Amino acid sequence: MGMKVVTKKAIEEAIDCFKSGGLVIYPTETTYGAGVDATNDKAVGKLLKYKKRPLGKPLSIAVCDQSMAEKYVFLNDTASNIYRNFLPGPVTIVSTGRHQVARGVESETGTLGVRIPAYPMVLEIIRKLRKPITATSANSSYQKRPYSIIDILENISKKQKALIDLIIDVGELPHNEPSTVVDTTLDDTLILRQGEVILRESQEILSRSEESTRNLGKELWQKYEQYYGQRAIVFALEGPMGVGKTQLTKGIARAMGIKEEVVSPTFVIEADYGQGKLIHIDSWRLINGEELKEMGFQKRINDKSVVVVEWAERVIDLIKKHNEEVVVVWVKMVYGKKTNERLINFGIL
Amino acid sequence: MKILAIDTSCDETAVAVTEGTKIISNVVWSQIALHKKWGGVVPNIAKRAHQEKLDEIIVKAIRKAGNEKPEAIAVTIGPGLAIALEVGIIKAKELAIKWRIPLIAINHTEGHLLSPLSVAGKRKQIAEFPAWGLVVSGGHTELVYIKKVGDYRIMATTQDDALGEALDKAARMLGLGYPGGAFLEKLATKGNANRYPLPLPMKGKENQNSFSYSGIKTAMWQLVEKIKKESGELKRKQIEDLTASFQTTAFRHLTRVTKKSIENSNLEAKSLLVGGGVIANKQLRKELRRTGKELGLGVYFPTSRKLCGDNAGMIGVVARYKIKRGELITEKDFEKVDRIPRMKVDQNFEI
Repeated sequence: MGMKVVTKKAIEEAIDCFKSGGLVIYPTETTYGAGVDATNDKAVGKLLKYKKRPLGKPLSIAVCDQSMAEKYVFLNDTASNIYRNFLPGPVTIVSTGRHQVARGVESETGTLGVRIPAYPMVLEIIRKLRKPITATSANSSYQKRPYSIIDILENISKKQKALIDLIIDVGELPHNEPSTVVDTTLDDTLILRQGEVILRESQEILSRSEESTRNLGKELWQKYEQYYGQRAIVFALEGPMGVGKTQLTKGIARAMGIKEEVVSPTFVIEADYGQGKLIHIDSWRLINGEELKEMGFQKRINDKSVVVVEWAERVIDLIKKHNEEVVVVWVKMVYGKKTNERLINFGIL
Repeated sequence: MKILAIDTSCDETAVAVTEGTKIISNVVWSQIALHKKWGGVVPNIAKRAHQEKLDEIIVKAIRKAGNEKPEAIAVTIGPGLAIALEVGIIKAKELAIKWRIPLIAINHTEGHLLSPLSVAGKRKQIAEFPAWGLVVSGGHTELVYIKKVGDYRIMATTQDDALGEALDKAARMLGLGYPGGAFLEKLATKGNANRYPLPLPMKGKENQNSFSYSGIKTAMWQLVEKIKKESGELKRKQIEDLTASFQTTAFRHLTRVTKKSIENSNLEAKSLLVGGGVIANKQLRKELRRTGKELGLGVYFPTSRKLCGDNAGMIGVVARYKIKRGELITEKDFEKVDRIPRMKVDQNFEI
């Protein structure tokens, strides 16, 4: 099949082309996209060749509505929220895939990006095709963003051109930014793990300010300092965003005589203070304990370090495994009735 | 002198070829799909992806720059995730030995700090020194006094979250996924920032030379919970207004503390250099331009969007100044080159 350029009445022709495994250049509200039937292995192989993109970097798919999306991905509350409020529109939402698409479309970890383009013609094609199409931009990797067909054709090789079966040319598109990609899968595990920790003996304290949360950190250290040097001490902090986990850690650090300013470890995931005296870990973006293990958690334990783990509920599988050799102090923090109040529960796991 | 620059401090595998402050090629392979602006790292995935991709990206960057053998290799040694930094450092040493060329050890934050000085295409900016430098990204919120290139003094840092991180967290609270900073920016342009007022962080404490985003984060969480209790799941308009409010308040805090710290320092300066991923945000640029004007400083941003986020072009630009100062490392000292995960911008790496 040679390359064909159509402008009007493209819908039927596009559907036929997709059905026969063809590669179609199509317009969206962002840029021109390169589409194939996302469930057809051969067609996806062709697309990857066109994009000059090795396997390993996932593609995303375009569907016509939420119910079609749900055939290919699991939607959690976060994803549903975005679908409900912002689709169709220039957002690609990454969810856990159902493995119903061709090889190379989902990521290695089994996630899949889905979008619903705010472009009626494309939605109609997908609806009638009853299959998702790939939603990658029509340029070759690392090349100019394609807002017109010329942008594409000028920057690809003859070989690449030969792979295109159909171009739906609607002229130059408005120069909108590419779709924004958001990952919703971090919110999957959190829900699964709630309520797993039961403390046999625990104490409850009411904090009325950030300063008093820091003071509790100091008290916690004084209470468990006796184990320092004999066994590793893990302070496992659990609690919602903004509740004061880093404040509590500041208090522990201060009590340990650490002079450096303790800040949120979210970005670097792991920070050490006082030349390895205190390790501050943020599990917020870790998928499970396995990742923490690969970062050398065992060595921290062997070194009898003091480790503070924020969002500990995410890595509880690993922490529980080490419960025998380590002193684990579990700290649950929740918002209280008044704005500045926090209820803080703690005890040995 | 052609330099091959490598940066694997985060989840972007970045390689560039530079000459002087000119960026000849600048290849960035983002591990998380497509167009993420900032966000951070997932450790073991980051490490593996760097290992798998680095060779290919190096070949690509060199080929794009005309296939010449580089005369030195610049590599980021910190700050960043230890196991990710390591991948770039090992590769840099291996190539430097193979090609018998020297190494230059670079601080990633200094890369962002000097990124407005890089020349990409025809766009060139000449900033006068002494200057102020502001780095705002997913991992950093730092105000630095630059007496001259290479001579830095940290004047204000964050006590808790970095600005980019705070924006990402706010997005997540609103059920927008992660990293949602870029999405939040888009929605904020449509929102009304006055509908849900949030408290300005550290009001009355601007003289402490500290940024802080924990208070506004907490206030946002409580506000979202309250709205949900009153009217159920958040609706589009509510989300837009909340993003606008959060962003406006977070930026106002940044500019206020920046301004106060600069005024209180009584240090002489002519320019304000701004770098880092968050600086791609248009509203923030506008507000910083105004701040610069009020302070009588010329404001300089990186000349392209790509130079805002993590990239190796900026690493090559820093290398140029280090070469001028003779900070080249020869093979006998390669073993002393090691990662410094929490490296400060004013921390000089010496053999």
